[in-house]
Amino acid sequence: MATSPTASDGPVRQELTEDERREAFARDAMPFVDQLFGAAMRYTRNRADAEDLVQDAMVKAYASFHQYRPGTNLRAWLYRVLSTTYINTYRKKQRRPQEVSADGVRDNLDDAGDFSLFDRLDGGASPSAEFEVMQALPAEAVRGALDELPEQFRTAVYLADVEGFSYAEIAEIMDTPIGTVMSRLHRGRTALQKALYDHAVRNGILSRDLSGDPTPDAADPVEGAEGEHR
Amino acid sequence: MSDKCDALLERLETFLDGECPQDVEAAVEEHLRLCPPCLDRADFERKVRELVASRCRDHAPDGLVDAVRARLGLT
Repeated sequence: MATSPTASDGPVRQELTEDERREAFARDAMPFVDQLFGAAMRYTRNRADAEDLVQDAMVKAYASFHQYRPGTNLRAWLYRVLSTTYINTYRKKQRRPQEVSADGVRDNLDDAGDFSLFDRLDGGASPSAEFEVMQALPAEAVRGALDELPEQFRTAVYLADVEGFSYAEIAEIMDTPIGTVMSRLHRGRTALQKALYDHAVRNGILSRDLSGDPTPDAADPVEGAEGEHR
Repeated sequence: MSDKCDALLERLETFLDGECPQDVEAAVEEHLRLCPPCLDRADFERKVRELVASRCRDHAPDGLVDAVRARLGLT
């Protein structure tokens, strides 16, 4: 049935008048503001900072919109601008001190080793049945676990598992080789599973008996004192 | 756990990411058809990802789009 090729809806062109550029940006780029905010939240972990970051990134994106190559991946390009904006201008002036507990966090990452939630839950009825229970974890707990990962691991996991970007896209957004992306994803996801498991045990959602882990961790915060993760 | 299961485990993450070469993908799918425990594991890993995806999405506050438009003079 298709008779005429789409005429007016073509990709943004580089040779644009000011009006055309404004119109193209409003039409093609502005719809990503909501998604970009989600990513900005994972970078900054703070709503006010995330709002500022998205605004600054969109100003930069608009100013360099002529560099965007029509027909290429606009969404990934915008995330790249967001990432660069964060690293170049934003990370320095973070209201929240940068990774205060960086060492502790890195330890968590190393501690996670080859942790597998599936294997850990295998002592119960079935891992899937046990996991049903974990679906009751509040959103803040899951977000908190992700937010506690070091930035580069957090970002890789977020871009892959929440935003659905490919390895190649993440490599471009984070300006890093694909092998590094894969390694960050693997270590980040492993640490995330361990954090989710620990959270579920601490809050009595999972019984520790299940794991056969003989050493209850006396240093764990009392439940209720958990809620905010910093 | 057979050697085949070990081989699957090594490739599972890339497989779930949809980043395997076609022949590897076919081999993983074939193994999952024949090995219920590995299928359980794969389904489980998918569920964990879905949990993360569904809980970690933040939406922009109402005024943000307007604020960006204003800064860019798009209105």
